[in-house]
Amino acid sequence: MMAKIVGLLVLQLIAILTFSAGFFPQKSVLKGDAEFLYHPEAHQHITPRFEKLVLVVIDALRADYLFQDEMSQFRFVHELLNKGNAWGYTAYSNPPTVTLPRLKGIATGSTPNFLDAILNVAGDDSSSSLEDQDSWLRQFRVREQTINFFGDDTWLKLFPRHFFNEVDGTSSFFVSDFEEVDYNVSRHLPQQLASQNTWDVMILHYLGLDHIGHKGGAFSTFMRPKHREMDSVIEQIYSSVDEDTLICVMGDHGMNDIGNHGGSSAGETSSGMVFISKKLENYDKPAAQQHEKLPIETKSEDYKYLTRVNQIDLVPTLATLFNFPIPKNSIGVLIPDFLRLFSPHEALVKLKDNYQQILSAAGQQHKQLDGVKAHIEHMRDLQEDLAKTATNYNYKLLSIGFVLLFLVTLKVGALSNKELNSSIALHLLVAVSLLLSFSTFGSSFVEEEHQLWWWSSVGLVGLSFVKAPRRAVSIFLILAGLRFIRGWNNSGQKYIYEHTMSEILKRHYHWQWVLNAVTILAVPLGRRNQTLRSNLTGFSLSAVCLVYKAAWNVVNGEQVPAWLQKVLLEILPDAAKSADPIEALKTQLVPMARLFFGAALGLVLLELLLHRLNRQSDGLLEKIHSTITTILIFQTSSTNIPQFLVFQIIAPLIESLWRRLWGSNVTALMTIGLVLQHLTFFQFGSTNSIATVNLTNAYNGVSENYNIHVVGFLMCVGNFAPAIYWSTACLKILYTRKPQYNKWQLFAASRLPALLFYCIFGCFLLGSCVIQRYHLFIWSVFSPKLCYYVSWNLFMHAVVGWVLEGLVVVLS
Amino acid sequence: MPVKKRALPKKSVSFSDDETLTKSRRSGDKNHSQIHDGPPIYVKRTIKTVPVHLLALLYYYIKLSHNFDAVTLLYMLIPLQLAYLTLQFNANTVYGHKILRLRMSLIPISLGAALVLTVPCMLIIILLGAPIAMLLRETWILSAHYCVLGLPAIYSIFKCNFKVGIFKKYFIAVAVGCWISCVMIPLDWDRDWQNWPTPLIMGAYVGAFVGYSIGSYI
Repeated sequence: MMAKIVGLLVLQLIAILTFSAGFFPQKSVLKGDAEFLYHPEAHQHITPRFEKLVLVVIDALRADYLFQDEMSQFRFVHELLNKGNAWGYTAYSNPPTVTLPRLKGIATGSTPNFLDAILNVAGDDSSSSLEDQDSWLRQFRVREQTINFFGDDTWLKLFPRHFFNEVDGTSSFFVSDFEEVDYNVSRHLPQQLASQNTWDVMILHYLGLDHIGHKGGAFSTFMRPKHREMDSVIEQIYSSVDEDTLICVMGDHGMNDIGNHGGSSAGETSSGMVFISKKLENYDKPAAQQHEKLPIETKSEDYKYLTRVNQIDLVPTLATLFNFPIPKNSIGVLIPDFLRLFSPHEALVKLKDNYQQILSAAGQQHKQLDGVKAHIEHMRDLQEDLAKTATNYNYKLLSIGFVLLFLVTLKVGALSNKELNSSIALHLLVAVSLLLSFSTFGSSFVEEEHQLWWWSSVGLVGLSFVKAPRRAVSIFLILAGLRFIRGWNNSGQKYIYEHTMSEILKRHYHWQWVLNAVTILAVPLGRRNQTLRSNLTGFSLSAVCLVYKAAWNVVNGEQVPAWLQKVLLEILPDAAKSADPIEALKTQLVPMARLFFGAALGLVLLELLLHRLNRQSDGLLEKIHSTITTILIFQTSSTNIPQFLVFQIIAPLIESLWRRLWGSNVTALMTIGLVLQHLTFFQFGSTNSIATVNLTNAYNGVSENYNIHVVGFLMCVGNFAPAIYWSTACLKILYTRKPQYNKWQLFAASRLPALLFYCIFGCFLLGSCVIQRYHLFIWSVFSPKLCYYVSWNLFMHAVVGWVLEGLVVVLS
Repeated sequence: MPVKKRALPKKSVSFSDDETLTKSRRSGDKNHSQIHDGPPIYVKRTIKTVPVHLLALLYYYIKLSHNFDAVTLLYMLIPLQLAYLTLQFNANTVYGHKILRLRMSLIPISLGAALVLTVPCMLIIILLGAPIAMLLRETWILSAHYCVLGLPAIYSIFKCNFKVGIFKKYFIAVAVGCWISCVMIPLDWDRDWQNWPTPLIMGAYVGAFVGYSIGSYI
């Protein structure tokens, strides 16, 4: 039976990966450089309106940061906007709203494919390079103009080094760094502005504002000083360039109020964009700007300020102003206001060129249109259509993957029915699977998946109560524990509660750290048969964990109570003595994390050795589970740590209830485990959106030149920490009492329910993705869900459930 | 699956007293005979217990009421539930082979009990996932509806000296109705009736309707 299940698992993984390969294809792009399409000779006589370009990208610069009175501190930009030296726009940035796909859009004028969003996280990957794709940078290069670049090194991932003359890349490695990333960009300014004849294009990409958003949300206290800093940078540039230089200040995307981005909410997709030049004063301001006095006092709910344009419209606009052909894959529409800089005849040439170029990208025939307005409107329609149908699916791979998964599901279903005795527990499992499966057809159910898991948990608790009213007290305690977990973080998109536990703990950080300390130090006490040795080693490991978490939070500017800081400096005397304790502490972080991981691994090996020497046949997992829990806590952000205390309290209650109610039925335990894994995953603050992938703990113990696989693994552990806890806890419960049967039979029986769940759910999700492949939300809701499903299946099911837990069973 | 189940005494859930009595006499189960020591108490299996007024109220709530006003609905529910108790529920409840007349003194007591029960009920609703720091008034109104819907069962529990086991199925039915109706909340349709606790009140009425209609058959 074991071999059969493993075979089915492998087939299932193949099916899902095949499907994904067909669903997230690399987009086909037109190769080669663009040429003028409409009367090429007419363009020869047009002189470029600007000679130099300074592009200032401020990461996550939402529209209201530039224009709205309450939020914005860009006083100098407001002054320019009012004088008419600057033209402001709200630029719609296509989701996924993360940096790499957005930069692709800004450079090439095309809409991103979903894979780029994943590659943004995955880091160095050559497939996202824009070396062969036409872009405005490439057009500048073809004209042998020099480009200097300073800022986020994502640009250096996208473009080959020979595109740029001078380069200084900063990495968004430490999200907690607000100052240095930007200083590393600004320090080049005096020299660059003094030698303006050496460059034609200068690109600056500032990351600090985005970091502040990620750390403290859109209303963070660090925002205002950062605005002023950016404003002074713009002033510095403006005051030293001549009127033939165009300064373009823009955000690559916006952010939501929590400070995250990646999705398609109004805040995330509305970035600000301002064109600044002394020359613009000679022309009429854009219509929307004429009657507005900046900063705008009224607050716009959908973040629409001044004129609304598409972010990729930047590409044809730059092409027009600098008189080079519009890059081939662009679907941008030039901003009509800028036609004022040309004579009516030239304006028409430029407009028709843009029209022909976008028609060729759409593969459509030329239509005779009259007037600027008609052209612009038709181009906007084309742009909308093109943005929607930006991907072509590989139907062959889709069908192979889907059919294979369907067959595997049938087989797994038949096997479960035979092996699991079609008990009530199996019906329950199928019911939960089907509930979740049907939910994949509704975008709001996918967004609010945590509600369904909560709903299932409540159903299970209610069922237990009906089955065993005499156990009301322990059922009540479990319910109370679960309610605490549910109230810990906001999940989903629809409801944001202000008074979540994590917010309360953040405000009362004294209590947070008391709870954290209790949670971390109580982990060794959760073990069933404690010995002096196990307690000593366990406490030492916990102590290292606590010290690291505290030190990490001090370094990252989080609030840590004074008593804990004192303890910290007591333990690390080097840091206390140095002039800058925080800086000294920072250097200690990596070695400390490595010490922790080394000690944890050593402890596991020690337990294993003792276990082998004593020739015990069971209970290995029981012995190493506290170490595993400590590692999981280590990978959890500090406001979520006390949740593990709740876990530790309710796990034994659930165990005894399960023994009484379900008579130690394996399927029942695994079903409960699945529900708890998902419930706690979402209540740690995760959602089905790429925006909430948490990277803060992915770099624990990783030095500057990091290995992407290590970071990826740590990221998975960090994001799936609660799920791993419940997965291993269920296995531990299963193997606590000496199994009456062969341990492999028990292992196989315990893996089958999860396999069945992932198969049924997968069938419906894949079907839903195929049916809704032209749905409006396919890239913002269904594709991320598919990615999450693949990672649940690969990481939680295959790696944790089969490989790691299988390893423990082998060794025990 | 070759996992051996532990030998447990076979459990069965039954809400009919007759059956329990005969069974416990047969098996000599002390546990059961202790609980149901008195004469058999049950609700007759008849179409006469169908609470039609709940459907009418539901229609009123969905179609006629202004802005899903749950308070007015509550005021309308209380007298109708009392009428239902008098004319339908109590008239079909058998206490030891007899149908007893409504004891008037018990009505204020059970109404008071329903009022008192709204507090633990509200706590349980919060435990089951209702927001804590906001919408408390709405949650209380929901629990008031819940308790008033359970009023006939509360009265009967007083009447039969607290044999809760016989009547708990009605509370469960209302709770299950609420539970199922929660599915509506996450949908992004942005309708008025999706606001807390409107779908749950509707669910409670449907649950109560089903419960009181078929409760005696379970």
